[in-house]
Amino acid sequence: MSDYDAHVAEVLKQVPEADPEKVSEAFARYEKDFLIPPEDAMRSVLRRFQSDTGTPAQSNQQTSSNQRQNIPIKKVEKLSDLSADDRNVEIEVEIVTHNPRTTMVRGEEKIVPYGLIEDQPWSEGGNRTRWEYKDWGNNPNIAPGAVVRLEGVSVNEYQGRMSINVNQASRVVVLREGVRTVTTPGEPVEINNIKSEGSVTVVGRLLATRKDVIHRKDGSGSIDVVRGRIADDSGAIGFLSWEAFDHEVGSLLKIENAQVRVFRDTPEINIGTSAKIEIFHDSNFASADDLVARSVSKIEDLRDGSRDVEIIVEIQKMIKRDFEGRDGEAKSVWSGDIADPTGKCRCSIWAEPPFDFESTPVVVRLKGVRVRAWQGIPDITVDNESQIEVLAAPPWGDDIDLSNNVVEVDLQDLSTGASRVGISTSGTIVSIREDSGVISRCNKCRRVLRDGECSVPTCESYEGVDDVRLRMVMDNGQSTISLIVNKIASESLIGMSMDEISSFVAENGSMQFVQNLREKFLGRELKANGRTIVDEQGAMLLSDDVSIIEVDSALVATELRAKWGVQ
Amino acid sequence: MQPARRARRQPAWHMLAAEFGESTLSQQGSGEFDPLFVISKLGAKVNRVIVAGMLERLDPRETSNGSTLWQGQLRDPSGLHFFSVGDYAQESMRELTIQLSSRLEDGESIMLMMTAKARYFQNEEGSVYTSLRPEEAAVISREVYRNWLVKASEGMLERIDFQEKSNSLEKSNEAFAAGGIPNYLLEGLILANEHYGDFDSESYRLNIMNALDIAEGKVPSFTSSAAPTPQSSLEVSNEEESKDDATSGDGVDLKQVLLDLIARLDNGEGVDFDTLLSNAAARGHDRDSSEASLDELTEDGTVHEPRFGWFKITN
Repeated sequence: MSDYDAHVAEVLKQVPEADPEKVSEAFARYEKDFLIPPEDAMRSVLRRFQSDTGTPAQSNQQTSSNQRQNIPIKKVEKLSDLSADDRNVEIEVEIVTHNPRTTMVRGEEKIVPYGLIEDQPWSEGGNRTRWEYKDWGNNPNIAPGAVVRLEGVSVNEYQGRMSINVNQASRVVVLREGVRTVTTPGEPVEINNIKSEGSVTVVGRLLATRKDVIHRKDGSGSIDVVRGRIADDSGAIGFLSWEAFDHEVGSLLKIENAQVRVFRDTPEINIGTSAKIEIFHDSNFASADDLVARSVSKIEDLRDGSRDVEIIVEIQKMIKRDFEGRDGEAKSVWSGDIADPTGKCRCSIWAEPPFDFESTPVVVRLKGVRVRAWQGIPDITVDNESQIEVLAAPPWGDDIDLSNNVVEVDLQDLSTGASRVGISTSGTIVSIREDSGVISRCNKCRRVLRDGECSVPTCESYEGVDDVRLRMVMDNGQSTISLIVNKIASESLIGMSMDEISSFVAENGSMQFVQNLREKFLGRELKANGRTIVDEQGAMLLSDDVSIIEVDSALVATELRAKWGVQ
Repeated sequence: MQPARRARRQPAWHMLAAEFGESTLSQQGSGEFDPLFVISKLGAKVNRVIVAGMLERLDPRETSNGSTLWQGQLRDPSGLHFFSVGDYAQESMRELTIQLSSRLEDGESIMLMMTAKARYFQNEEGSVYTSLRPEEAAVISREVYRNWLVKASEGMLERIDFQEKSNSLEKSNEAFAAGGIPNYLLEGLILANEHYGDFDSESYRLNIMNALDIAEGKVPSFTSSAAPTPQSSLEVSNEEESKDDATSGDGVDLKQVLLDLIARLDNGEGVDFDTLLSNAAARGHDRDSSEASLDELTEDGTVHEPRFGWFKITN
């Protein structure tokens, strides 16, 4: 029974009359019968003995503040320094958003605001971390834009996501009043500025609506919803209405108190019971035609999760794949590579296209389509042929040959933007990784074998296939991107075939091979074409064409003297 | 909303030794994996650099725990970078260090490019030392060295310009941004302004002029010794041998020039390496041969080095 001594002592501190033996038994019961460890059972045991021994019924608030004092204060600067079970935390944060929401708590209606906080409120820029918070005390000091010191708050982890609970007994000390321009509820915002989740009011013209049905995942039925798109001068955004929505396309609407949800990388307005929609009158507001024309997307704008996209593209190559649907029915999908002057991506059409898919290129206008992304490449999904309109000529004219069009993008934009296809960039090579050279890939899944083993469990009886790749880091002094060069481009860049590399490595070792690469490329300017994958890990450029940029140092030096007057 | 995002790779600054070496300000976050930054007078917030120059020294030191720490110096037109390679370095870097050290001992002159992490120490008296911890390095050709020099000069000229602009601005992010200071310098320049105050960037301009001279091939006989771009380490050593032959002819004259210079410039404590070599360069002798002659003079005892980098004629 001695296992519970510490916990028993804790209970006795608060309920001195309790019988230690019984308290210990209670802990044992929780652990053995309910598999609840004593630290988690503390609250329940405490409550039981408080009522058993008739300790004056303390209010919740006092209990929690008593408990708080018993847990040492954890004072941190950064949210990332906190772990899931931290209680009684003290931290200074900036309140980014604050959304009051009415929730039912134990059968009682309560206002429990939620929103986002940012740590290190006094550092400008830098890498602040954002977490969500819930304010169970509906504390008046929590207002958007304010910098506050939170005392006695706790950390909550739900499905791997960490958030802060501001408890009823927590103290909120205002260190700086909200100075940001706080959008008072009801004040419309520009659609293009809607980026993050929260409550919002917009004024926009309705560009499209369509009825849709959402099937509950648990199979308990379906909900009728309306999807659509509204726009103002700054941009357009998709919406989803859970309520009846029968406004006509073209009407100017003011939507108050709607919720913004971010789906994948795309924000969307959710219209629920709390939202209010009214017809808005403004004779100067842009017409539907203008807004439609302006809301035509370009490939560089496409984001995973975008819906109701209108875009004009050239289909460059298309193949038809036949497969069997879940019900055994024969189905086909037409997938292809598409391009516009801003880049390339992919497209999947799930219905017979209204053009001969084998005689590409074809220029089409796609309407109301959605975007998914696979390995970072946007893939436009076309669900039926009515979304496709074949155009006689591309609007960008005949001068641009898209088949070889490579868009030059600054390294900075690539490393901070979305994934792109058909781009080219340049930078300094600052690292050549030791695993550059000949590698062995799994012939089933193309993954690199490590010590001859494939990491994918489903790959059985695989063989290693030799391949060449270079792994480098490209840098422009402000951003970096991993550069991975494929076989053909690697061989041509270093002037050695795969066999030559293999025999060099066999003779001199892989270290010497990498060292030779460094002598050739470290510090050199390289231009690389290919596609990028940008995710939380950083940016990666998969390149099929790289070349050294030769710099005439004497010329550059002379130019520098002239420009900066260093004579 | 995401818990502690994985730190992204820090970019590398092309930076001359003078700017890095004169830095006395650092910034280190409190987290275990937060990067360390050295903040230069010109507001560069440096975690990683890409530097190049002549490898001047590379010696092993036994540390108290029995491991070997290699300490080296890399010279560019503005001064010296100090670096160390220890057991923590990548294997390829350690292997290269051993090779380079023996090549250096054989009298080869080596141009080295390296990417390195910034290091910062402060001793008990409060003196600050910066140094580098190389990640990757490679022997480079003169042409690549020149490319690096112009790139480093360009970056430095921009920083000097923004630093000068920032002097007249109110010290706040907003005022700096409105005054045209680019994002990548905002934070560093504010910190630099607070810490270093006003200073004269004229010496940096002189450094740049030296660097550009080399890039333009203006330093006499510098270009003639540059063989066609060597691509492998083997070729580099061949080139260096032939160069050594070429310099031995005027070696006697050069020695005399150096001795005259030391005699004239010595105010009691000797003449520092840079002054000596730039004066020799002004008389038409390139740095490499001057350095070689100076080495010979030191070795045969005509000249001695009372402290590192300062030369005196032996009486």
